[in-house]
Amino acid sequence: MMKLEEILVTRNSVGKPVQRKEDVKFVMGKGAYVDDLDIDCHHAVILRSPFPHARILKIDTSKAEALDGVLAVVTGPEVAQQTKPVPPRAITKPARQYVMAAEKVRYVGEPVVAVAARDRYIAEDALELIHVEYEPLPPVVEIDDALRDDAPLIFEEAGSNVLLHDRLEHGNLEDAYKEADLIIKEQFRMHRYSSTPLEPWAIIAGHEKADDSFVVWANDQQPGRSTVNVCNALGISHYRLRFIVPDSGGGFGIKLALWPYIVFLCLLARKVDKPVKWIQTRTEHLLAGTHAPDAHVEVELAVKKDGKILALSMKDIENDGSFVHTSGIYGLIKFATLVGCYDIRATRAELMSVVTNKGPTVQNRGVGKPTMIFVIERMVDIVAKKLGLDPSEIRFRNFVRPEQMPYTTPSGEIYESGNYPECLRKALDLIHYEDWKKQKEERKKQGRYTGIGISAGIEPGTSNLGYYYTSRGVPEYMGNAEGAIVGMDYDGNVNVLLGSVDTGQGHVTTTAQVVADMLGISPDRVSMNTQLDSLISPFLGHSGAYSNKFNDVDLGAVIMATKKLRDKMFRIASHMLGLPEGELRLKDGKISAVKDEAKAVPFSEIASLAYKKILLLPEGVEPGLKEIAYYKNPVAKLPSKTDFNVQLTHSNSVHAAVVEVDAESGAVQFLKYVIVHDCGNQINPGIVEGMVIGSTVHGIGAALYEEFVYNEDGQLLSTTFMDYLKPLSIGLPRFELAHMESPCPYTLLGTKAVGEGGAIGSLAAVANAVEDALSPFGVRVRSLPITPEKVVRAIRETREI
Amino acid sequence: MHKIKVRINGKDFEHEVEPRLLLVHYIREKARLTGTHVGCDTGNCGACTVLFNGDPVKSCMMIALQANGAQITTIEGLAGNGLHPVQEAFSERFAVQCGYCTPGMILSACSLLQSNPQPNEAEIREAIEGNLCMCTGYQQIVDAIAHAAQKAKGLERRKP
Ligand code: FES
Ligand code: FES
Repeated sequence: MMKLEEILVTRNSVGKPVQRKEDVKFVMGKGAYVDDLDIDCHHAVILRSPFPHARILKIDTSKAEALDGVLAVVTGPEVAQQTKPVPPRAITKPARQYVMAAEKVRYVGEPVVAVAARDRYIAEDALELIHVEYEPLPPVVEIDDALRDDAPLIFEEAGSNVLLHDRLEHGNLEDAYKEADLIIKEQFRMHRYSSTPLEPWAIIAGHEKADDSFVVWANDQQPGRSTVNVCNALGISHYRLRFIVPDSGGGFGIKLALWPYIVFLCLLARKVDKPVKWIQTRTEHLLAGTHAPDAHVEVELAVKKDGKILALSMKDIENDGSFVHTSGIYGLIKFATLVGCYDIRATRAELMSVVTNKGPTVQNRGVGKPTMIFVIERMVDIVAKKLGLDPSEIRFRNFVRPEQMPYTTPSGEIYESGNYPECLRKALDLIHYEDWKKQKEERKKQGRYTGIGISAGIEPGTSNLGYYYTSRGVPEYMGNAEGAIVGMDYDGNVNVLLGSVDTGQGHVTTTAQVVADMLGISPDRVSMNTQLDSLISPFLGHSGAYSNKFNDVDLGAVIMATKKLRDKMFRIASHMLGLPEGELRLKDGKISAVKDEAKAVPFSEIASLAYKKILLLPEGVEPGLKEIAYYKNPVAKLPSKTDFNVQLTHSNSVHAAVVEVDAESGAVQFLKYVIVHDCGNQINPGIVEGMVIGSTVHGIGAALYEEFVYNEDGQLLSTTFMDYLKPLSIGLPRFELAHMESPCPYTLLGTKAVGEGGAIGSLAAVANAVEDALSPFGVRVRSLPITPEKVVRAIRETREI
Repeated sequence: MHKIKVRINGKDFEHEVEPRLLLVHYIREKARLTGTHVGCDTGNCGACTVLFNGDPVKSCMMIALQANGAQITTIEGLAGNGLHPVQEAFSERFAVQCGYCTPGMILSACSLLQSNPQPNEAEIREAIEGNLCMCTGYQQIVDAIAHAAQKAKGLERRKP
C-alpha cells in the first residue's frame, strides 16, 4: 500500500478545518434538490393501503381517470404483470412481493395505485375517486403474534412468518462455559425508529418515447444497486436507464429503498408525455419510508468472578416488517460488533428475521449495531453491578488491548486499530468521573436522582457486501469499491467525478482537500460534481453513500485516479524540462526541478501539451489529462460461515453522560455529555465534529423520544412529527468532544468511519445513566425509548423500563 | 381563482391562484424561489420558514391568498450582493450539512438577532426550537448564530 508521504506532497489542507465548498449554495438557498429542478413535469401521488393485511378483490380507477387533469393510472396488479418480483438479499424462505401490492396488502401504507395528473392537487383529488375493494385479513403486528403456531401467514408460500433462521457459532464455547463462574442472562427490546432525513424521498421519472428509455432523477443513496434493481424489475438493459442524483437533504440509510417506487413511476411515465414527479409527504415517509426494525434480544454472558467475559450467546429476533428485499440483514450486520470492544473468545448467535404487517425496514444509521452495542453495554453494566465492580473497571478488564491490534473476533471481523482503554480513560477525565460519583451521592440526599452512564462502542465502516449471504450461497455483490474520474482543465484546475453521492457529508470539500494536497495546489482549484449521472460518472454496483465507505474506497478511487494524473503530468514535465522524473517535484501549481526552482513548468503548460500541442508530447503518452480509477478495499474476505468480516474499518468511541431524572415527572435531563472519538486520521475536523454530534443526537432521539407505535390492529399511530418526536434544539446537552487518531492500516489515508458512531454508542450511555440514576428504586432498563411515562411507571410499579 | 399581489424579496408578483394553494407552494412553484423547503405536512419542521412582513412564519401553514398585499423575504432575498453575516457565520462554523434546514434556520436566526442582537445560548436554542435539523444535532448551528451576533457586535464597534 502507498505510504501517506507518497500520496500527499503538501499538508496544507488535509487535517485542517477547511470551510466547506458546498456551503455557499446552501446558505443562499441555491441547493438543487429533486423538487427544485426546473423540469416540466406531471405530478404523481400514491393511493396506499388503509389495511395492514388484506386481500385486494377489485380496483376501480375509472372515475379517477375521468377527472379533468388526470392523465394516467397504474395499479398493483398491472405492475405485477409488467415487472419482476422484489429480489430478496438475505432471507432463505420463498416470499413473492412486487414493488406495488398486487394480490394482497401487507402493511398500512403499501402502494396500491399511482396516479399522474396535471398538478399535485388534482392528483390528490383523484385518489378520492378510486375504489378498492379489500377483504381484510387478521393482522400480525408484533414478533410474538408472528411466531404463534396459528399465526396467519403473511407470505403463504413461505409456510412460516420466519423468513430467515440461522445459527452461527464461533470459538470454543464449551470450554468458555466450563471455565465460567457465572452465567448472566437478560432480555432486551429494541423499538422501531428512523433517522428521518429532513427532505423526504423525491423522484422524477421520464420516458423517452423514441427509444423506450428512461431518465430518472432521485435522491437515492445507493444508485449503484438501484440501477441494477430498477433495470431488472423492468426487464430492460442498463443503457436504457439514465440515473441522476442531485443534491439530497440527508440520507442516513433511509434513502436506500427508493428503487421500488422508481420502478412503478417509470411505468407511469411510459403512459404520459412528460416526466412524472413524485414528492413523498412526511406522513408517507413515516408510514412507509422505512424504519429500523424492532427486535427482541436474549443475551447470555459467561463470566469469571473477576469480571472477565469468556463467551456471549445471543438470540436475536428482528421484526423486519414486510419488505423482503432487506429482511434479514439486520441480524447478520450485528456480527460487525458482536463482541463490542471486548476480547471475548467464543460466541453463539441465533438469528431470526420475522415478517409482520408493520412497515418496511431498511438500513437506518448504524444498522443493527446500535442495538448490539446497546445490548452489550447494558450487559457489561449489569455484570459489573452483580460483581461489585465499577462500570469503568469491568470495561478495562475486558477491552481488546492496543497491542492485540489488528484483532480478529471469533467470527472473523478484523478490528484493525484503536486504543480502547485510553479512549475510556480520556472520557473519564473529561467528564470528571470521580467527582460526579461523589456529587451523585450528595445530590441523592437532596432527592435529586443523578446517574452516570458510560458506553464504549465500535463504529464499523465500509460494508463487505457479501457477508449476509452466509445463508444463501454465492452473493450477487461482494467486497466494496468505488470509482472516480479526475481531470485537469487547460488552466491547471482539477475536476472530480465520483460514483458515490453526497447526502450532507461534505464530500466536495473533503475530496478537494485530498486532491489539493496530492497536487500541491489550493482546494479552491478543485471542483467536484456531487451530482451523479450514470451516463458519465464512474460507476459500480457498490456505488453510493452507505456504511461509511467514503473515507475508504471513495477517497481511495479519488487518490488512485489523481495519482495516475500526477504520474502522467510528471512524464510530460520531464520531457519538457529534459530532466528525469526523480529530479522533479510538485509545488504551487508547477512541476519544477528539485535543485533549481527556476526550471519549472506550470500545470497550464503541461495541459497545453496534453490538450493542444499534442505533437510535442513524449513518445507513448496519450493526449488528454483525465484519468479514471476504481479502488477496492484490500481486506474484504470471501463469504464464508466460519470466517467472515462484515465491515472493513472500525472506528470507536466512548460516550459518557450524566443525567438527572425527575422522579415525579419522569423527565430525563442531561447535566453533561462527553464523547471521545477515534476515526483514525481526520481530513476535516470541522466536518468530523458535525457528524459525530449529529449522529449522537440521532441516538439520543432513539433513546429518549422517537418510536413508531403500532396499535394491535396494525395501524401506525405516529405518522407526523407531532407524535413521532424528534430531538429539538432545546433539551439537548452541550457535547464536549475529544479525539484520538489511531490510523487505519488498511485505508490509504489512515482514515476510518465517522458518520454512524454517535448513533451507535449513545443509546447505552443514556440508558446506563438513567438506570444508575434510578438505582435507589431498583429500576432496570431493558427497552427504549425512556419516555417520562415509562420512567414514572417503573418507579411506582414495575421496576423496569 | 383569485388574484393576489405579493412583494417577495423586493419584487412584485401577481398571479391568479386557487384558494387552496399553500403559500409555500406559491413561493416555490409560482415565484420559482426554491430555497424555501418542505419537510413535513404539519407545521413542525420549519424548513419552509420565511419572513412575512418581517416576522418568521411557516409558509406551509398559510394559504397563498393570505399573502395578498404582504411583504415576504425568502432566503434568496436575505442579502443583496454577497452573503448576509448570518449566512457567512453558518459556513464558518460548519453549521451546514445537507443544507435542507439551512434556509429556514438562517431566517429564524436573523429574526432572533433583529429583536435580540446579543442572545445567550438558551435564547438561541429557544429561537430555533421550531426548526428541525436532522443532520447537525444543532450545536454548530447554535454556535454559528452566536458567532454571527459576535460579528455584528464587532461591526458596530468599528463604526465611528
Ligand atoms: S414544511 Fe412547513 S413546518 Fe414543515
Ligand atoms: S443540515 Fe441537514 S437538516 Fe440541517
